[in-house]
Amino acid sequence: MSALVLYDDELDEDCYRARLFLSFLGLQARRVVVDVVPGGEQDSAAFRAVSPAGVLPVLRIEGQAVCGAEAVLLALAHGRAEWLPEGAVDFARVAHWLQFAGGPLRAAVLMRRASLFAGAGDEQSARRRAAVAALRIVEDHLAHRRLDGGLWVVGEGPTVADIALFPTVALCRDWGEEHSAYPALRRWVRAVRALPGFVTMPGIPDYG
Amino acid sequence: MSVTGDGGWYPLMLSADLEPGTAAGSTMLGRDLAVWRDGLGQAHVWDDRCPHRGMRLSLGFVREGALACLYHGWRFGADGRCVHIPAHPDLSPPGTIRAAPLRVAECWGLIWAAATDESGTLPEDDPALAAVPWVPVRSLRIEAPWQGVAGAIGLPEGELAAVLDRDVDGRVLAALLPVGEGACMLHLLAAEPAEVARLHDLADWGQDVRARAEERAGQVFLSGAVA
Ligand code: FES
Repeated sequence: MSALVLYDDELDEDCYRARLFLSFLGLQARRVVVDVVPGGEQDSAAFRAVSPAGVLPVLRIEGQAVCGAEAVLLALAHGRAEWLPEGAVDFARVAHWLQFAGGPLRAAVLMRRASLFAGAGDEQSARRRAAVAALRIVEDHLAHRRLDGGLWVVGEGPTVADIALFPTVALCRDWGEEHSAYPALRRWVRAVRALPGFVTMPGIPDYG
Repeated sequence: MSVTGDGGWYPLMLSADLEPGTAAGSTMLGRDLAVWRDGLGQAHVWDDRCPHRGMRLSLGFVREGALACLYHGWRFGADGRCVHIPAHPDLSPPGTIRAAPLRVAECWGLIWAAATDESGTLPEDDPALAAVPWVPVRSLRIEAPWQGVAGAIGLPEGELAAVLDRDVDGRVLAALLPVGEGACMLHLLAAEPAEVARLHDLADWGQDVRARAEERAGQVFLSGAVA
């Protein structure tokens, strides 16, 4: 495989999705730092030439630029059945949660960005409610999974669905949501943290 | 039946949600707490304030039978006393550096804390509760005043926990933690023997209770597209 290149912003949770999966897979990528805050480099002509919609992260794999966290996860998981199940039902479930991560869960991503970078407060807003509602959907799912003896989002082991959801859940304290309100998420966060190759990012405690 | 006795005992969380060697946060009537379980299985509840610089102990982690603060790594043993300061590993910390422990009880699948030293003992011999083992179902955070939720699920006046006999099949233990004025945690457990399908029904029922209570409180959380 030709060298992997990751266009990366340290504080961006979508980039962390990619870094986390690369680390679980034991893969190295050459890192190109994109200065989003305060640089606004995602809108530069140079970066738009790589990622036309200005989306981060971008992974260059076999010469092909793959834009966006869920696409990067899929591209890296290709051919790895343990991370991307081959059975129709579990594959469909993973697809469902990847779409959720790129769709409704964006409310939480936006809440975090607004809190960290635009100084938005904790007050109730349509966006905060939608963000809380998205976290609850994952919480409710994992609470039910647990009643069946399941620990992971899909199936018997971690998949790209877990990686797509993890950063947003683990970082919700950045916008004022406490993990104490989400016991099922808390248990699952611990399980992800315990996987070999786990890495943190700023905002996710490193117990050393 | 009175499980909260002469008052002052609060159901913080399901026992199953505090694994050995882990720490979690909880809030009891606006009072933030650090809840942790040592390697021997004993649960501890402290005010969520590190004696060093006041950071939150609930974000810490358990090391060698002590709760380690995330910020500068000070460690506090089961009695709350500081046992280790990483910057001064040879120093034996003075006994005055101490986290503030609350009284704790663990029964019927729940971890309880006493709000004051005057809280009586938690009556652990309630026949309705002691007769069967309780299977944890789940806990739900509800953004509505606890009194409304208590009334809606049929807790007796003034009680924070009771065996319910309405709305659901089989015996259900419901316990309610007032988090603050407008929020609570509802803990649900089912009496053994409990089929898995029944546990799912009960978890769904909890979601219904949450949705209805929040609607009454004018708090609606709907996921969907936002800008
Ligand atoms: S604040 Fe806890 S060790 Fe410093």
